[in-house]
Amino acid sequence: MTTMKIIPACRLLIAGLCVAAAVGCGKTPPAYFRPNMVEATKQRLTADQEKQVATILLAMFGTPDDPVCLPETGLDEAKLRLAAGPVRSDIVGRKNGLYREHCAHCHGVTGDALGPTAAFLNPYPRDYRPGVFKFKSTERADKPTHADLVRLLHNGVPGTSMPSFALLPAVQVEALVEYVKYLSMRGETELALMRAFFELDDDAQGKLPETREFLVDETLSPVAEKWRAAADAQIQVPPMPADIDMVASIAKGRELFYGDKANCVKCHGVTGLGDGQANDYDDWNKAIVEIGKELASGTTKAREASTAGMSPEELSEHRAQLAWLDKFGKVLDGDALEPRTIPPRNLRHGIYRGGRRPIDLYYRIHAGINGAPMPAAKGTVPPEDIWHIVNYIRSLPYGLDGELGADKPMLARDRF
Amino acid sequence: MVAGFNWTFPLACLLVGVTAVLLCFGALVTTYDAAMAVPDWPATYGHNMFLFPFADWFYGPWDLFLEHGHRLLGATVGLITLALATLVWLREPNATVRGLVAAAVLLVVVQGALGGARVLLDDKTVAKVHACTGPLFFAVAVAIAALTGRGATAASASGGPALRVAVALLVAAYVQLVAGAQLRHLDAAVVTPVMFRWLVAIHLAGAAAVAGLSWAAVPLCRSQGSGAAGRWAVVIAALVACQLALGVGAWFVSWGVPSGLLPAAWMPNEPLAARSGRGAAVVTGHVVLGMLILGGSVALAMATGLFARHPARATA
Ligand code: HEC
Ligand code: HEC
Repeated sequence: MTTMKIIPACRLLIAGLCVAAAVGCGKTPPAYFRPNMVEATKQRLTADQEKQVATILLAMFGTPDDPVCLPETGLDEAKLRLAAGPVRSDIVGRKNGLYREHCAHCHGVTGDALGPTAAFLNPYPRDYRPGVFKFKSTERADKPTHADLVRLLHNGVPGTSMPSFALLPAVQVEALVEYVKYLSMRGETELALMRAFFELDDDAQGKLPETREFLVDETLSPVAEKWRAAADAQIQVPPMPADIDMVASIAKGRELFYGDKANCVKCHGVTGLGDGQANDYDDWNKAIVEIGKELASGTTKAREASTAGMSPEELSEHRAQLAWLDKFGKVLDGDALEPRTIPPRNLRHGIYRGGRRPIDLYYRIHAGINGAPMPAAKGTVPPEDIWHIVNYIRSLPYGLDGELGADKPMLARDRF
Repeated sequence: MVAGFNWTFPLACLLVGVTAVLLCFGALVTTYDAAMAVPDWPATYGHNMFLFPFADWFYGPWDLFLEHGHRLLGATVGLITLALATLVWLREPNATVRGLVAAAVLLVVVQGALGGARVLLDDKTVAKVHACTGPLFFAVAVAIAALTGRGATAASASGGPALRVAVALLVAAYVQLVAGAQLRHLDAAVVTPVMFRWLVAIHLAGAAAVAGLSWAAVPLCRSQGSGAAGRWAVVIAALVACQLALGVGAWFVSWGVPSGLLPAAWMPNEPLAARSGRGAAVVTGHVVLGMLILGGSVALAMATGLFARHPARATA
């Protein structure tokens, strides 16, 4: 009798425990770096070749839980260890695993921008692997400086989902910056290795030479060197003349904005609302768009080809091509997100992703935005004139095009 | 002890109250990723949990404060459960209450062990299960309090559609917590964007189900159930409305406003701030409110006749 009555009470409990058990089936496997399958497939690597790349990378960079770095990278392993691994406090109560705590759900454990939340974000998070960064104080093709990345983490990227980490202690931000460089170097090295198969001569038998000369001197060091060189690649900014006549400067800037040398109007639109040419992609998305196009045309061609007159070799080549196309399609489904365009910025908002100090805008206009369609004005617009454009851009959110007097008060948030 | 005074009910209420605080701490531990702030278990940095120096805990790092506090509260809840179980074992004739208390003891032991395993194995999967068992225990605690309360015997068993909707709401509220736990314990090494999209879709569908059921319950319970059922239904419906707002807020503070959703001029021009108190409050509040909705729907289900003494059996 009693047991009869306990049954309904326990029913919910059992149901609940079943749900809980279903949720947790098995221990979580250790984190691993995902291979760059898009590149591997593009380069038509064999399974053995993929394995060779993975083995080399493991030796050079370790795993997400156990990072290592060769002295050539110039990275600080102690900082990396603070950022790597699962989130936990060490024996002195210092938090480890910062990257997985703060970044990996967007940027992915590998830094491939395939974190769980990535598909929902617009713009997508940065894929560090190509080693391209947008918001920095260096010339267009150069890496950001250490200070650039620290400032980026401090400010976040306003207008996107990239948050500000200003509330984290400086030590943690340092460690995170070091880890971003580490992931980026790892990604670029991976790309270099995968592309190197293409240049092998026949007697290499499809294997990369595992010599120090090739792996470190020819592959890793050039990647690391670009990071080291960033400090010397800073944009030289002439100071804005202290006695500048703001009204005249804005008028001049306006002229340049609409003029055909800088031709900002082409993309940012006659109104500055960012409604000019708006159907372009940034480099990461463009790469996927182009692969998509290639696959589509390749598939049509392969399907239309008549197998009737083919020799046995041609036939097997044809089959291999079909299999490759099929595989590539699947790889794209899993390892690439739906490409998104990058609209030119609406300049009437006053939201600047790369920072809102006048000098940030100077950097943006001087060097353009690396990886994005936004071109560099360097070379077409003299350095002093870039300041006029900066002043004009900064007047746009207030709708005072060309009428803003230098004596007009600025909003507090624009005063530094 | 006053002879004849029913101590079970106040003790059960205490259990519900302390468990609610425990759940808040648990949710904060997840929000601040503080689970591994103490690397050992059941000891805290080598100390017996209860003897860990108070000042080191209270004035220590925030994540240590949360994790150790969560452990202390967990132990307290365990002790209250055992006291309640003793009392019920000695005094309570009602078999349903006895069954529920047995379930509570079982759950609190399992939950404590899961908490320990989460730390010792440093495993996020265990953390997810731990996050799903917590609200289950809370639901049982609420059920005990509701059954031992003075009103319990008076509540008329209404049954019928009101009970069915209430039980469906209870199940949906729990499933929602399970789905939410998956979203919160995101293991970036395991979850792909595709899986995440599914999780979000499930959580949104669940939100629609909970909202629909909770709002459908209001007219049903007001017309059919007892007065208590009607009141609970209104409270839950209001909580669910707040919960939807918090859910939207949780999205915004975590991932920003999806571009193109709002008119451009409304877009915030400040970046999101990781680890901001406001963000943590919104996200944690969303979890805690979810658990309160679950507790409320237990009370509602009971007010509409769940576990009500079946006339046939009561006389038997
Ligand atoms: C909520 C998602 C999210 C989180 C969490 C996040 N990011 Fe980002 N991050 C983004 C997005 C989105 C962008 C791309 C912004 C753009 O392209 O304008 C980005 C861009 C970046 C960039 C590239 C900036 C450039 O100049 O190109 C770096 C570096 C970066 N994030 C580092 C981090 C680090 C380090 C963390 C953790 C401490 C982190 N992010 C956490 C979403 C996120
Ligand atoms: C080929 C199209 C194109 C041209 C020409 C162009 N831009 Fe851009 N601009 C863009 C795109 C696209 C973005 C957004 C890039 C991104 O966020 O990755 C952008 C972004 C910007 C930003 C925002 C920077 C930030 O930190 O958010 C400013 C300011 C800007 N452009 C100014 C200019 C000026 C001034 C010129 C003329 C010298 C110009 N642009 C010419 C396409 C263009």
